[in-house]
Amino acid sequence: MRTKKYTPYLYMLPGCAMVLLFVYIPVIANCVYSFFRLSSYSSGMKFVGFDNYVRFFTNETFWIMIRNNVLYCVISLIVQVGFGTVVALLLESKLAGRFQNVFRNIYYIPALISLTAVGLMFTFVYEPNLGLLNSALKALGLSNWTQSWLGDSKLAIFSIIAMSQWQFTGYITLLMVVAFQNISTDYIEAAEIDGAGPVRRAISVMIPLAKEQLLVCSIITIIGAFKLFTEVYSTTAGGPGNSSQVLGLFLYQNAFLHDDLGMAAVTGVFIFVITMILSIIQIKVTKSGEV
Amino acid sequence: MKKKTVLKVLLNLFFVFLALIILLPMAWMIINSLKTNQEMFKNSLALPAVPQFNNWVKAWNSGLYKYFGNSLIVSGASLLGILVLSSLLAYGLTRFQAKGSNVIFLIVLGGMALSEQVALVPLYKILKAMHIYNTYWALILPYVAFRIPFTVFLMRSYFIAIPRELEEAAVVDGYNSFQIFLKIIVPISKPIFASCAIVCLNHVWNEFLFANVFLESKALMTIPIGLMTFKGDLRADYTTMLAGIIIASLPMIILFLCMSRQFVRGLTAGAVKG
Amino acid sequence: MKKRVLSVLLATSMVATMAAGASALTVSAEEKKTIKFFHRFPDEPYNSFIESKIAEYEEAHPDIDIVVESAQNNPYKEKLKVVVGGDDCPDIFFSWCGEFTERFIREDLILDLTPYLEADTEWKESLMESQMVNYTLDNGMVYGIPFRLDAKLFFYNIDQFEEAGVEVPTTWDELVEVCEKLQEAGFTPIAYGNQDLWPSAHYIGTLNQMLVSDEVRAVDYTPTTGAFTDPGYQTALEYYEKLIPYFNENSNGITADMARSNFCMGMGAMYYAEVIEIPYISDPTSGLNPDLNYGMFKFPEIEGPGNPNILTGVPEGFVVSSKTEYPDECVEFLKWFLGKEVGTEQAQTIGWFNASIGTTEGVTDQTLLDAYNVITSAEEMGPWFDNALYSTVCDEYLTAASDLTNGDVTPAEAMEKIQAKALEAQTLAAQTTEE
Repeated sequence: MRTKKYTPYLYMLPGCAMVLLFVYIPVIANCVYSFFRLSSYSSGMKFVGFDNYVRFFTNETFWIMIRNNVLYCVISLIVQVGFGTVVALLLESKLAGRFQNVFRNIYYIPALISLTAVGLMFTFVYEPNLGLLNSALKALGLSNWTQSWLGDSKLAIFSIIAMSQWQFTGYITLLMVVAFQNISTDYIEAAEIDGAGPVRRAISVMIPLAKEQLLVCSIITIIGAFKLFTEVYSTTAGGPGNSSQVLGLFLYQNAFLHDDLGMAAVTGVFIFVITMILSIIQIKVTKSGEV
Repeated sequence: MKKKTVLKVLLNLFFVFLALIILLPMAWMIINSLKTNQEMFKNSLALPAVPQFNNWVKAWNSGLYKYFGNSLIVSGASLLGILVLSSLLAYGLTRFQAKGSNVIFLIVLGGMALSEQVALVPLYKILKAMHIYNTYWALILPYVAFRIPFTVFLMRSYFIAIPRELEEAAVVDGYNSFQIFLKIIVPISKPIFASCAIVCLNHVWNEFLFANVFLESKALMTIPIGLMTFKGDLRADYTTMLAGIIIASLPMIILFLCMSRQFVRGLTAGAVKG
Repeated sequence: MKKRVLSVLLATSMVATMAAGASALTVSAEEKKTIKFFHRFPDEPYNSFIESKIAEYEEAHPDIDIVVESAQNNPYKEKLKVVVGGDDCPDIFFSWCGEFTERFIREDLILDLTPYLEADTEWKESLMESQMVNYTLDNGMVYGIPFRLDAKLFFYNIDQFEEAGVEVPTTWDELVEVCEKLQEAGFTPIAYGNQDLWPSAHYIGTLNQMLVSDEVRAVDYTPTTGAFTDPGYQTALEYYEKLIPYFNENSNGITADMARSNFCMGMGAMYYAEVIEIPYISDPTSGLNPDLNYGMFKFPEIEGPGNPNILTGVPEGFVVSSKTEYPDECVEFLKWFLGKEVGTEQAQTIGWFNASIGTTEGVTDQTLLDAYNVITSAEEMGPWFDNALYSTVCDEYLTAASDLTNGDVTPAEAMEKIQAKALEAQTLAAQTTEE
């Protein structure tokens, strides 16, 4: 093809410009901001060195946030990726019958609802007096199991995590179902001829062959856990006390409630470092094919 | 054989049980959205004496229709931007063997690892400096920029696989590179366009963080953020709020049920090769 | 099928882009004086009332175009901080009196209304002095005009009080006794929902007023000098703690509006309410129980170094941006919008009084008139505690109160954290003022 030398770059330019302007520059600027004291309603900036970092890491909510983000991460890995994969295997098993697509689609529905809608919905489900959960427990004669789901400092974060599992387990299940469907039937038949039962087939054939997809699901889940924001914002806003505070919400509140943009920027840098490390691990691992 | 039948029944019961966990909260919400507030307070598990369809009408009229329009505009424009810019970028990357393509691809791909939260504060300052804070553009431009890396990633792998002979024939016919893109590459790549569109739509339609920060006017709000204002807008009118949540959730669910095949393909194309 | 999906998607995108472009273009076409007006009353019927009045004003003044925006309480606070000081700052906006607005005044962002009031003494005299005080700085600068009067009072369920055989309490000991008797009679004494965090501030703010002297509070509520070391603050939290057994269960899991709903439905014999909530209760369409038989009383007195004559709840009003192109027009509009004529109609239609003298004409709801009388006869109004403090200190206070409500911290531990935050805020506030 006869083209001028710069032609390919003309095609790339608009897209690259957008990414640079709205993704890269803000992220770099954020790192710069983290060394300043600045506010959104006055234009002045004051260099404060590592002061924001010191305040961030010595903040007493720091460890609460880490705990909550990690809890969210671990539970999501177990339930969404672990249990979700098991459900996918069951849906793909020969015993599943002809409604498996219907079930698969039903499980996926919550993932289509916006996070805010789910958050608002669950504030009702969890409402102590008229909420679904407590009403149902009372109707079943289990009155002493009723809880203040979002109002108890020890429970709040778990109630939020449970809500996310409700919403996203079906999403991972769907992804895994498709991954299993993509496995060539030859492998499975070969295993069958070798006399492997359904459980063995799942463990030694299907899961290893869908390993890559499983890994991607895990990474999506882990990174998602550190970006957590809307789920908490729309339910407890971090309360009661600071018991359900998470990094994403802390960033937001510092920026737009306390007008402490420097502190927000440090939180951003912290999230950036964590997600960056995880992404690099993801790329490395997928390339080398090791788990 | 008998053991198998028992297992089959048990397994399907398990599936039904899971389906109930998913569906019960939704059913409860629908039932209560059709009650009066007093009825909901007395017993939220009971059925309404007379279904109050008026709640749904009230919810729709108290701003929801506006939020729908805004979401359509923002999602539509963002999708267009994402698809056009990403396909051009992917085309430039794959079909010319241009120097530095790999570096450019890596830089673009790197954008995938940068999260919206990290960019939030500076982006807000940039948008203000550009005087587009609190306009549709304040959402459309960042949405497009943040979805390009991923979409390019998908399209690139699709474009690479297109046989070179097709292009060579076109060159003989006197097509220039843009005509080749428009008349050969795009028509051939419709499936990947559809998949990308669906993945991005689900993301853009439900996006909350940017919408919450970059918009100020009620008249511009998209559905996810509009729903949050609903919470206070109606104060103690809980049943109408439930109706609002349901109406807001319906479009994506209906779209999915009508086109579940495209959805599934889009999602897996999106995730498999991450 | 595939093809159709894609073309539909593309077509929608196309139309959408054009629509977005078109709406961006129409903005600057007008030659009218455009005044941006930002308020925090998007609920109905309040929003409609405000918009109808503005439309009325625009009709009478064809050269003025008022662009209205609104947001709910918490989002409003976030949004306002973002836009104030920017080029697109609203010309007139709702702003709480005290520290919330004073931080903007420190940045020179608020118009001084004193000259306008001095120039028009008739206007000045038509406004209640006891309310205007709240929108006045120590140096005499008036920075805002009230839109609605408010005060915190206990609402009580008359039927339940009679059934339990108790009278309205006037002292703390009586309040505790009433709670005990109500509990014995099988009622929940106090309906309370603290999920949104600010409700606790109203209790604690009131308690602080009685347990800490005026002078000490004045020092502590100023961000650059606040230390909160007076033992009275801890005592206040201890009194709050004593009320917890009488609240409904799960108070931290219940929203403020849900607590009011519970009170309306008889699931709480008392409810510490704002008087602006009266219309929410009596509204026949959205009120859960418009026929509720209820009365009001002031927060019972506690003896202490503080001032029990302060009634918690300052008015809420509007301020003008110092950056507005049309200061005269803005003031002219506020003069009418927050004046007696609109105020009278406002009281009749939405049940909120403004600070103009003599707006009760035509108001028939006795509860509303009672509330009005309590406010107008109050010696002094006390600030909304959460808006009186520096935002990080406020946050710490609310967090502590929330933990206290759940029994996770003691008042002493809570005060320790608050004192630490107050010290940090001193330096932060000083840094901001330096610039």
